[in-house]
Amino acid sequence: MLAEGALAAGCRFFAGYPITPASEIYEVMMRELPAHGGLALSAPDEISSLCYCVGASLRGLKAMTATSGPGWALMIETAQYALMTETAVVIALVQRLGPSTGGATQGAQGDIWLAEFSISGGYILPVFSPSNAKESFELAVHAFNWSERLRTPVLLLSDKEVGMTTEVVDEAALQVPELVNRPMAAAKADYFPYAAKEPENVPAFAAVGGEIKATVTGSAHDQQGRLRKNSPQVVEVLERLERKIEAHADEMAMVRPDLDPDARCLLISYGVTARAARQAVGELRGQGKRISFLQIQSLFPIPRKWLDWAVAGMETVFVAEENLTGQYRAALTPHLSGKRVYGINKIGALISPGEIARAVQGVLA
Amino acid sequence: MTPETLYLSNKAELPYCRGCGHSLVVRQLSSALERLGLPPRSIVLTTDIGCVGLADSLFPYLHTVHTTHGRSTAFATGMALADLVQDSQGLKPVVMIGDGGAMIGLLHLVHAAQLNIDITVLIHNNFLFGMTGGQHSALSPLNWVSATTPDGNSTPPLDLLALLRTAHATFLARRSATSPELGTTIADAINYPGFAAVEIVELCTAYGTRWNQVTGVSLEGIIVQQGQAIGEVEREIERPTFRDLYRHEMASPRPKPAIPRLNIPTILAGEVRVVIAGTAGERVQSAAALLCRSALAAGLYCTQKNDNPVTQGSGFSLSEICLSPKPIEYTGMESPDVVMVVSEDGWKELEANGTMAACREKTLLLLDSAIAADPPRGQVIRLPLRREAHPKRAALAAIAAWLEKNPLLPSEAWDAVLALEPPERRAESIAALEAGRRLAGAGGASDSREAGHRE
Repeated sequence: MLAEGALAAGCRFFAGYPITPASEIYEVMMRELPAHGGLALSAPDEISSLCYCVGASLRGLKAMTATSGPGWALMIETAQYALMTETAVVIALVQRLGPSTGGATQGAQGDIWLAEFSISGGYILPVFSPSNAKESFELAVHAFNWSERLRTPVLLLSDKEVGMTTEVVDEAALQVPELVNRPMAAAKADYFPYAAKEPENVPAFAAVGGEIKATVTGSAHDQQGRLRKNSPQVVEVLERLERKIEAHADEMAMVRPDLDPDARCLLISYGVTARAARQAVGELRGQGKRISFLQIQSLFPIPRKWLDWAVAGMETVFVAEENLTGQYRAALTPHLSGKRVYGINKIGALISPGEIARAVQGVLA
Repeated sequence: MTPETLYLSNKAELPYCRGCGHSLVVRQLSSALERLGLPPRSIVLTTDIGCVGLADSLFPYLHTVHTTHGRSTAFATGMALADLVQDSQGLKPVVMIGDGGAMIGLLHLVHAAQLNIDITVLIHNNFLFGMTGGQHSALSPLNWVSATTPDGNSTPPLDLLALLRTAHATFLARRSATSPELGTTIADAINYPGFAAVEIVELCTAYGTRWNQVTGVSLEGIIVQQGQAIGEVEREIERPTFRDLYRHEMASPRPKPAIPRLNIPTILAGEVRVVIAGTAGERVQSAAALLCRSALAAGLYCTQKNDNPVTQGSGFSLSEICLSPKPIEYTGMESPDVVMVVSEDGWKELEANGTMAACREKTLLLLDSAIAADPPRGQVIRLPLRREAHPKRAALAAIAAWLEKNPLLPSEAWDAVLALEPPERRAESIAALEAGRRLAGAGGASDSREAGHRE
């Protein structure tokens, strides 16, 4: 469904390399893209996969690759290049158990930090995380839209349990947002490839091979794309790279809330664990517990607007995620001051609704 | 119009050291472009890291992409591939890369050669890493003295063109930067419709000449001495380019087989969680998929979660299935309602992964008769599934036997799904289903009708 969402979003280029549990996306794109007038290609490694996608995007196509943790580790150099050159590209990162080659056929939510904090300088990489097949479709479209609008790499953070589980999807109920394309440069003499105006802060795009000369560089550059050292213009460009994401954080925010106005306790989750959490909330409410639930779909930038709204009046916050150290909890904690924050964590298998319910009861009892 | 006005900026002061080969190459590239008469906007100059990577700023009218180290070839390949989709078919990527970049990005060169994609790669081989202080490279000659080989290089140099020939490259040339033929060779390479690589042997006057007795005119001698060819090494125009193949491979849309949804009232009141385990290669997961499709046809929600060892075709294979009249959240098995085990491999895995321990008294366990061990609890039925059906049909037979005893899905749902199967597979599936129903009717340990249902 993630691949179907990419096709619906207008993706016309895919390059991939086999890796469990992302290979199905690769196979679907190899099968389906030619029929959609696009091109899908087997790359010799993950570095090439993302380089091909970035090259295709520079030529003007919407492009995507799909991989898992070990492949993403190889792609980070090129993801940074895409961010620095303001190149729209989508990377589907279907997580599996790490570190290293880890457990190829085991799910995990262990790449939150590796995904988000992969950019030198700490720049925000937008990350969307679907919890089921339907959301995989819908968030794929959102990922492309934001990648195009902000001209930046966007990650779709799935995992083995979401990516490789077959489930029923009601196609009629899919919410397909309107498609967005990158802002295009108009032919004029003074086109500056890295200059942008408030409030969008996104420069207009000139495709390689088009009428307007494209100047692309991953090295520190000024608004004209010239390599510069000790130049305030370079710093201006670098500051804008972060500002263009931050300025759209509220608009990008996507959550599925299920709040109880009388609750003093909030459970937060995302991805596959959000499903168990939603079920656990139902079971706890069945036992008379007052509890609110917030599924976060746009992990980064952190959806502050919704988070602040959901935690208002709460005393206790639980964050359930399938990793050992509470990676997303650590990212949220600075925004949860004054709350008692608990992690519900596990690796090696899905966290079950019973485990979440018992953990919540254990604290609240 | 002179070459300098259209391609190389006439105001440009070349940033290179006195005597550096790069200066010769950028001028020869400019004159080659002029000779070809290509519009500047049809060229994308893709420059790698290193001194050669400064060349993009010298060509103000070309598209320029300055890349990460070694990856220039891959970015250029991506642009050339996308150009085919855009159907402009006019973009000519020219890559400028050094010997260091060629080695770190070797697989990009190899793959571009295999694809025979229309890019031109100019490999500037000055036997060292110049920008970082004169370290030796994979292309340094034997005994070459550098910052990192003060006693001389002892690793034999890579013959890049010979290597690319094995990757089916169709245009390969090697010239020295001082060669009067260099401009013509570059023009021929760019004009060539497929992958073209030109290795240009150069002098780094900052570091090459500092530690080695070498001059611009002695470079070709070094190359010949190490058994490498000079000139146009390979030119095989018969091989189809990627563009030829891409035109060939444009596919027509494939219809998606839609599973019909029948308007059948289900007797399923709540969720049923089912585990089917057996041996990889014995169609366990495909049997589970048929069950899910039938459930879908019957109007149910379902999820199917598979597991197998990384080897795919050996060891266990299992599917965890949830069927429900309502949308399903959690897809795991806290406590399964039905467990079907059709081989020893499957049994061992369910013991190891905790499924057996999670069974309750009410769990229905449908086991192949060959499995001797007893589960800790549950209602057990043993049937000779492997013997009577076939090992490859045992999983589907088990499903049929379960449904014979607990008719949750109407036969119309199975019929609708089986109609979508290819004919040979359909006959096998029908045989498996019949075998399962027959075995369920014939006996096995008795069970209650409620077994396997959640209240």
